[in-house]
Amino acid sequence: MFTRKEFLQYIALLAGGAYAAGCRTPGAYDHIGGSILGASAAAGHQLRDGLSVSPQKTIRTGVLIAGGGVAGLSAARKLRLSGKTDFLLAELEPQTGGNSLSGGNSITNFPFGAHYLPLPNPENTALMDFLTEAGLLKGFDKGLPVYDELSLVYEPAERLYRKGRWQEGIIPQVGLSPQEHDEMKRFLALMQTFRDAKDSSGRHAFDIPAALSSRDPQFLSLDALTMEAWLQREGFRSEPLRWYVDYCCRDDYGAGIKTVSAWAGIHYFAARRGKAANADASAVLTWPEGNGRLVQHLRRHSHNQTLTGTIVYRVQTEGNTVLADCWNYQTREAMRIVADHCILAMPQFIGRRILGETPGPQFTYAPWLVANVHLRELPVDKNLPVCWDNVIYGQQSLGYIYAQHQTTDRRPAKSHVITLYWPLDQLEPADSRRKALQLQHRDWVELCMAQLEQGHPHIAKLVTAVDCWIWGHGMIRPIPGFMTTEIPGTPPRVHFAHSDLSGISIFEEAFYQGESAAMRCLG
Amino acid sequence: MGSNRSMHLLLLLSVFVIATCGLIYELVAGTLASYLLGDSVTQFSTIIGAYLFSMGIGAFFSRYFTKNLLSWFIQLEILVGLVGGISACLLFLLFDHVASFRIVLYLLVGLTGTLVGLEIPLLMNILKNRMEFQDMVSQVFTFDYIGALLASIIFPLVLVPQLGLMKTSFFFGILNTAVALVVLFRFRKEVKWAGYLTVKAILVTGLLVAGFIFSDKMMDFAESAAFNEQIIYSRSSPYQRVVLTRHKDDVRLYLNGNLQFSSRDEYRYHEALVHPPMMHHPDPRRVLILGGGDGLAAREVLRYPHIDSITLVDLDPAVTELFGGNTMLAGLNDSSLLDPKLRIVNTDAFQWLRSPHQPYDVVIIDFPDPSGYSVGKLYTNTFYQLLQRVLTMESVVVIQCTSPYVAPKSFWCIDQTMRHTGFQTLPYHCYVPSFGEWGYIMGSLRAPADRGDALPGGLRSFSRESFAQMRYFPPDMQAHDLPVNKLNNQALVHLFEKEWAGWQ
Ligand SMILES: Cc1cc2nc3c(=O)[nH]c(=O)nc-3n(C[C@H](O)[C@H](O)[C@H](O)COP(=O)(O)OP(=O)(O)OC[C@H]3O[C@@H](n4cnc5c(N)ncnc54)[C@H](O)[C@@H]3O)c2cc1C
Repeated sequence: MFTRKEFLQYIALLAGGAYAAGCRTPGAYDHIGGSILGASAAAGHQLRDGLSVSPQKTIRTGVLIAGGGVAGLSAARKLRLSGKTDFLLAELEPQTGGNSLSGGNSITNFPFGAHYLPLPNPENTALMDFLTEAGLLKGFDKGLPVYDELSLVYEPAERLYRKGRWQEGIIPQVGLSPQEHDEMKRFLALMQTFRDAKDSSGRHAFDIPAALSSRDPQFLSLDALTMEAWLQREGFRSEPLRWYVDYCCRDDYGAGIKTVSAWAGIHYFAARRGKAANADASAVLTWPEGNGRLVQHLRRHSHNQTLTGTIVYRVQTEGNTVLADCWNYQTREAMRIVADHCILAMPQFIGRRILGETPGPQFTYAPWLVANVHLRELPVDKNLPVCWDNVIYGQQSLGYIYAQHQTTDRRPAKSHVITLYWPLDQLEPADSRRKALQLQHRDWVELCMAQLEQGHPHIAKLVTAVDCWIWGHGMIRPIPGFMTTEIPGTPPRVHFAHSDLSGISIFEEAFYQGESAAMRCLG
Repeated sequence: MGSNRSMHLLLLLSVFVIATCGLIYELVAGTLASYLLGDSVTQFSTIIGAYLFSMGIGAFFSRYFTKNLLSWFIQLEILVGLVGGISACLLFLLFDHVASFRIVLYLLVGLTGTLVGLEIPLLMNILKNRMEFQDMVSQVFTFDYIGALLASIIFPLVLVPQLGLMKTSFFFGILNTAVALVVLFRFRKEVKWAGYLTVKAILVTGLLVAGFIFSDKMMDFAESAAFNEQIIYSRSSPYQRVVLTRHKDDVRLYLNGNLQFSSRDEYRYHEALVHPPMMHHPDPRRVLILGGGDGLAAREVLRYPHIDSITLVDLDPAVTELFGGNTMLAGLNDSSLLDPKLRIVNTDAFQWLRSPHQPYDVVIIDFPDPSGYSVGKLYTNTFYQLLQRVLTMESVVVIQCTSPYVAPKSFWCIDQTMRHTGFQTLPYHCYVPSFGEWGYIMGSLRAPADRGDALPGGLRSFSRESFAQMRYFPPDMQAHDLPVNKLNNQALVHLFEKEWAGWQ
């Protein structure tokens, strides 16, 4: 359990500068409702502590997909489109979606996790096919994809609060010293060089899916040091630049420059080469419910073949079949699914246990907090209106997304939802995870409000509720060595499919891993 | 008899105050009537007539007051203070709520007049036992006329510009009740029901003081300083700030501080908006108006007798209700919003277009200028694509497109955006004095062609001849190489902001 001292230390760590500045009047947040939501940690723990049940019935299927996140759903889609309809998908949560889950109220939908998809790289035709199927890619114009403009992020997309004012974009630009400015320019130019770089065999230095990136030592050697060490080595020392790069790493990996490898840090900037006929290269696809929209399109392929509330707790192989034991914790019924193939569309730290193995040491996961903050009114700010992405400089949290930004309706909404994203990387993951799960709702309200109040001093009176979603194992962390460490093999007919195999937690990777696993089943 | 002298001095001072107040109420009513109903000469003379006549009625009834004169006088002062004091506020508030606003106006004028008419005769009755008759008559009337002179001078020079009508009438109401209180205090031994009257006077004074303090709040007149004209109506709807002003016979509508029309020259704007698309369709029957909740574009459409139906989609019910319900405003749009052929849908145009509808022959788009991201979305290629769902090959669309003189890049950006989505466009412009040079773009899925049908009668500025000129764009109204306006770039909003920045 938490001692009081530990508790206070953790809170202070989470709050960072915000807490020190906090001079709240007691009771200022008493009116704020909401609760702690989250993936069924309880179900997960049952699994960890071992289930001692024996299956009462047996079901036969061609392919069992265990896990209904983006990877699992993409595998199902790939199977169906390849004519393989004999499959089942088992998901432990009441609904599929995994880290791309979303929610909603009578006014708007909002994300609980993943919320956008950058423009796919030109070679990623598999993903573009899916977007076409979903009506999000409308066709091609002079070879460039035309995306659905209701789904491209609307202007004004991003703003940054720094030195007491909001500026457009997230890269610090206003109020930089000439040196800081030059360094920023030099860094971005260097990233462009990496983006254009190819190895002798014609592979891109950095690519998405990451597996297609060059294996040339000149690039792979970047996996041996941290991003911070690399910045140091290259003479990048200015504070705004370091903040920006750290921000980007925390955004994509849940861990900052001190933790992730230089390879991963550079990958963030250098792997995206997506273009559109009708948008800037920096545009992203997003919806009020975030990637929940993509999940909704994926789900159609496994609609009637999904068993929700179903944990796959043991997987063995026997001859030419895979035996997967499942437990439905709602009906409290255990069963055995006998399949020709099994796709473990779940992270290694669960999947390996199910196979009776231990996960490789390179697999460490960043815990996250996602808080949906319900407001009566939006805060009104001087220089810029609320944008899609709103970042406050130098904070522990990454700022917030405004779900209703992607609406064309001019009627003012009766309530609003902003989603605060917060990687809990202030302690080592296991410690941070354990402590985060012990905090009470009112602690989180205090912490979240302290973050928001740095940009909006009077926001508390607009807030009606804060719903906190804790992702204990939110994202794989691409720590040094990850890209160069071999992932152990699997028993025959068992295939892993999860974004953590890529070391990079993004939709494209999950999609790719799902498709690849499906293809392995199809032979 | 020192105390007697001071007493009658006090009563004479009351005459002075009463006279000032009385004339002020009359001036307030007259000014208000000409603000709210227009035609100042008629309004002023009928209001003054009605007021003087009511004073006569008051004077007539003064004969029935024979006992407890002082108490009645105090009673009267309180009542005049109350009715006169709140009259302006009441009229402003009722402006858009009562169909027969005129009746309320004249009732109030009649009531105030009658009460004021009672004052002087009653006072003379009180004084007659205390003074020589001749002295009394001369002094009372001297003070009465001086009061009137003072009122007539300070009203236009000080009160209207400094306080505005509503505060002025509250202020003079307070003076009336102050007279009541002073007289009460001074004569408390002679006055009957003194306790009751004191309570009443204090209550009414309190009410008027509160009214004076909160009048800005009550009417949302916070921005009145920003307008040169007198504000006659102002409300914050959930969507926008709606302000109507009047200066002489010119009524203006402002939405969020932006001028939407001036009644003096709006016909130029609306004739140029409506008749070109109508003359480019062979047989316009079904018309869609997006925006245009003031009913002025609909008025022009209704000049065509063969129109079957008009659907008017406007975000804000506050605007369509104001322009449908108020008689003065319905006079501007010829009651177009009440026409049986017209159907009002109060919703967001973007959302409305996303649900299925029968096609329309002519679509008239009269949105506010693209001065912010929210309305900027209504000028995007996505919106124009959506719009094509309610069009046939024959349909003609027209869009109001800000000033091609002040904001040529904005204007041509809209043109570029329309052409990008498949419209063939025909841009034109027209001079509207209160706006300046104003732009429109007509669009159709095939090149718009004039069908040669006769224009309806009664047009004051638009004709085929003038249209030929409207289509010519001199170099100072041209701009080239403009981006397509999209949800993901809001290029138009950025251009518009820059181009208008120097003008506002
Ligand atoms: C806070 C947050 C924000 C993010 N934002 C973005 C973003 O904006 N854009 C982006 O591209 N990516 C984002 N991501 C990354 C996101 O993780 C990926 O985009 C993608 O959703 C990962 O999908 P997956 O299938 O690999 O994994 P998961 O989503 O982890 O899916 C695994 C699924 O397996 C289920 N499962 C686990 N164990 C079992 C079992 N034993 N039996 C049955 N089912 C089981 C789980 O319940 C889950 O549904 C974000 C992640 C987080 C945590």
